[in-house]
Amino acid sequence: MGRLRVFFERIKELFEQSRANREFEDELEQHLQLLTDRFVSQGMPRREAVSAARRQFGNAALLQQRHREARTFLFFSSIWRDVCFGARMLRKHRGSTAAVVVALALGIGMNACIFTFVNALLLRPLAGIRAPGEMREVWEHSRTANGIHSFMPLTYPDYVFFRDHARSFSGLLGYDGDPEGIIWNRGGHGEVIHGQLVSGNAFSVAGVGVTIGRSFTPADDQPDNPQPLVILRNNFWKQSLGSDPHILGKSMMLNGTNYTIIGVAQPGFTGFEVAMAPDFWTTLSMEEKLIHDPGRLTSRNSNWLLTEGRLAPGQNTKSAQAEISLLAREIELAHPDTNKDMDDVLYSSAPVPGPFRGYVTAFTGMLMVVFALVLVIACANAASLLMVKATGRAREMAVRSALGAGRGRLIRQMTVESLLLALIAGCAAVLLSFWTSHLLLNLIPTSLPISIELPLDWRVLVFTFLVALITGIVFGVTPALRGTRVDPVGVIKSETHSGGYRKSRLRNAIMIGEIAVCALLLFSATLCVRSLFNAGSIDPGFDTENIAIATLDAGSLGYNDAKIETFYRELDRHIRALPGVISSSYVNHLPLDASREQTSVIDESLIASLPHGIPVDVFRVEPGYFKTMGISVVAGRDFLQSELDHKSNVIVVNTAMAARLWPGQNPIGKLVKVGSSAKERSEVVGVVKTGNYRSLGEDPIPALFRMEMPSLRVLVVHTSRDPGSLLDAVQRQVQVVDPNMAATQVQTIGSFMSLPMFAARTTGLLLGASGILALVLTWIGLFGVISFAVSERTREIGVRMALGAGRGDVMKLIMRQGLLITSIGLVIGMGAALASARLLSALLYGIRPDDPATVVIVSAGMAAIAVLACYIPARRAVRVNPVIALRYE
Amino acid sequence: MGDKKSDVLQGTLDLMVLKTLHAMGPLHGFGIARRIEQLSEDVLQLNEGTVYTSLLRLQQQGWISSSWGTSENNRKARYYSITRQGKKQLEVETENWERFAGVVGRVLSQEGQG
Repeated sequence: MGRLRVFFERIKELFEQSRANREFEDELEQHLQLLTDRFVSQGMPRREAVSAARRQFGNAALLQQRHREARTFLFFSSIWRDVCFGARMLRKHRGSTAAVVVALALGIGMNACIFTFVNALLLRPLAGIRAPGEMREVWEHSRTANGIHSFMPLTYPDYVFFRDHARSFSGLLGYDGDPEGIIWNRGGHGEVIHGQLVSGNAFSVAGVGVTIGRSFTPADDQPDNPQPLVILRNNFWKQSLGSDPHILGKSMMLNGTNYTIIGVAQPGFTGFEVAMAPDFWTTLSMEEKLIHDPGRLTSRNSNWLLTEGRLAPGQNTKSAQAEISLLAREIELAHPDTNKDMDDVLYSSAPVPGPFRGYVTAFTGMLMVVFALVLVIACANAASLLMVKATGRAREMAVRSALGAGRGRLIRQMTVESLLLALIAGCAAVLLSFWTSHLLLNLIPTSLPISIELPLDWRVLVFTFLVALITGIVFGVTPALRGTRVDPVGVIKSETHSGGYRKSRLRNAIMIGEIAVCALLLFSATLCVRSLFNAGSIDPGFDTENIAIATLDAGSLGYNDAKIETFYRELDRHIRALPGVISSSYVNHLPLDASREQTSVIDESLIASLPHGIPVDVFRVEPGYFKTMGISVVAGRDFLQSELDHKSNVIVVNTAMAARLWPGQNPIGKLVKVGSSAKERSEVVGVVKTGNYRSLGEDPIPALFRMEMPSLRVLVVHTSRDPGSLLDAVQRQVQVVDPNMAATQVQTIGSFMSLPMFAARTTGLLLGASGILALVLTWIGLFGVISFAVSERTREIGVRMALGAGRGDVMKLIMRQGLLITSIGLVIGMGAALASARLLSALLYGIRPDDPATVVIVSAGMAAIAVLACYIPARRAVRVNPVIALRYE
Repeated sequence: MGDKKSDVLQGTLDLMVLKTLHAMGPLHGFGIARRIEQLSEDVLQLNEGTVYTSLLRLQQQGWISSSWGTSENNRKARYYSITRQGKKQLEVETENWERFAGVVGRVLSQEGQG
């Protein structure tokens, strides 16, 4: 009741403020007047009476202020005044404001940038899908395998079983996880676009609508009656077909089959998975026609369907998982040969597929930690700068305190200033993160058909400003507490400030922490950058410079074997005729690519010790491959054209395989069975140097090379010129040989190599950036602290010099302070760095996480930087003129 | 700033102001200050300004009201007087205070043991 009344009184008074203020002023004035009169009448001289009255009355200004505050909601308007005053102070101290804002903006901005990726990959639901929270991914999981390899997409029969039996889902959709490059025969010319196979219910389960036409129905997707129908992506329809409103019912020739366009998807819908934006969708039943890989719809071994379902009303992950596990058990019992030890697990739906999220989280989490450390440095910098400023403002604080401002009031003022700084930095950080995150996107290899959207949505903004807010409090609170602990009398009287020693001790502590964190970051950064150089110099076992490559699939147009062979022979002839081309050949997939073929090799003479043979990686090549790729043949010879023509059973092995099967013997002429069910034996005709096949820097993997090419091939061209200049010519020659064909992923071997190097490059670049950032910030911080220490000690230095200290002594004095701080910080930082560097070891190539050279480089580098940061202020100290310094007081 | 001391003082000052208005009838701020000074026999050192803070508080609670009148030196002055609600509150507060003072008195009058 009472409070409510006060509240209404205040509202009333809000409207009568100025009158009330004036009246109150009058009232106080009157009171003072009466008091003075009284003292006068008691015989006091008038002037004394006035001040006696004031003394007795107390602080009238403060009273008026309190009065106003009590009467109204002045708390808010006084905060606003603080903001205005703070803004004025920041404008006045432009230099330090800029330094703090830049440091913080860099720190916050890099965090926001990483978060933008986290948001895009892990948090943001896919655009266009209705109620994404209800969607769950289904993954097949092997109980006997570990890590990422234990998770697989579903086979078609398993998908159908779940789709038809799982009651906890209102619908289960499936799609081919790799949108395929498809040749679109556009008026006689082949053009590569991307298509994706989806289940007939995909659009309806996901709740994705169409702009025009209709979406698929389960009836369109019957394996025994495949319908050649496509739905186009909205942007593809706009950009490639000019938003043709009469497109429905028209047909498109895709990989040699005519498809009827039945719809255009709603705008904004880019696909069922992150980063992959197919140009069109067709149904799973068209699998054989579209990608010419027969048997996928019946195979229980081919795991290719990414599956997602919408939970039925009233169901949750737990109940759905229980049902799915039960169904998986049923499949396992019915098909023990393929599904033994196979379970299926659910993941909530997010842009990055479930099993990979842990890795993406770990990777981005590590980067977040790194840039959080950079932010800590920036905070420490800001704090020490503000403390320096606070010391300079001791007089201002003393005056305000003497005028009646309580400590809480002063702290509020300082905090408002810090938050203002943080807010400005936050705004700058948003811009910075927008810019850097798009810059980072360029690191993604062009060979990946990936387009990640990095929206600046509310999550990113909330994150950024939350970080800014926390930052503002963290760096603002210490200077605020320290700066406001003033003794007004002492400060105003002597114009020196109290507590200087304690303050400088705190500043030194902050600086030590800053140097330690910087050493830690710089160490990790140096490791990663050195590892990056190492990775660049790893020999993958083939030429990584003078080769152009292109992927071709003559089979995609439905040609028979003879026609396929003719095409490749003809193309080979044309390519060799190009200027600058030294040689060319084909391989089914390049080493270090995502594809892999494995088999087991059995030498029957070794059947006792190796009854199942040894597992080897298989590459299918044509004669001339080794020469073209720069792979050296160490024994025997390359394949012969005659062997290709006669389909001879000959293989070439690598040294790792030779060493494994026949240590110390001559492998040439050995006979082995390739594959456990092989009837005939193949003869080893050559041995080549072992390269890297799966990842850079791997342990040697046994591999063999054979002929018998599939229709999908990679053309490799060795050229004496820049391979980049050859790419257009290669694509042209493909169309010259067959206008309906088109090559995909026409690129130089260098850009192909950016994929295996991706993780190392990104980490190296980001950590390198963090290290440099940390170093610059720390340098500025150290420089600032030492400079300030010098200016604070000017008088002391003057006294010392007056008493006979030489320049060298003063120099030593100043340098000692800085170098002591640096060495303590370095020791702590290096300790922490060595302890934590093991976390990085998975990302390092050819360098130990405790590499002593790096320890030395970083320590020496930081020491040098510290010497430089201390030297400049120290030189200024040396130039102090004792007379002036002493007279200054 | 010794906030705690003035908190105790505030509570008691409000009570003293309320009682003074109850006993003396309408008064302006100066008058209240003089009356308290007189009664306290210079034991209580008071910043007279705080009387106004107290007056504002009491007014906002509705326990006193103010009106304009003319002061001794013939100037317009604001006169404060206790309201009916204020009288009721005064009774409650006086009772509270006496009880409190009684307790404190009893506690302080205990005999020491040695």
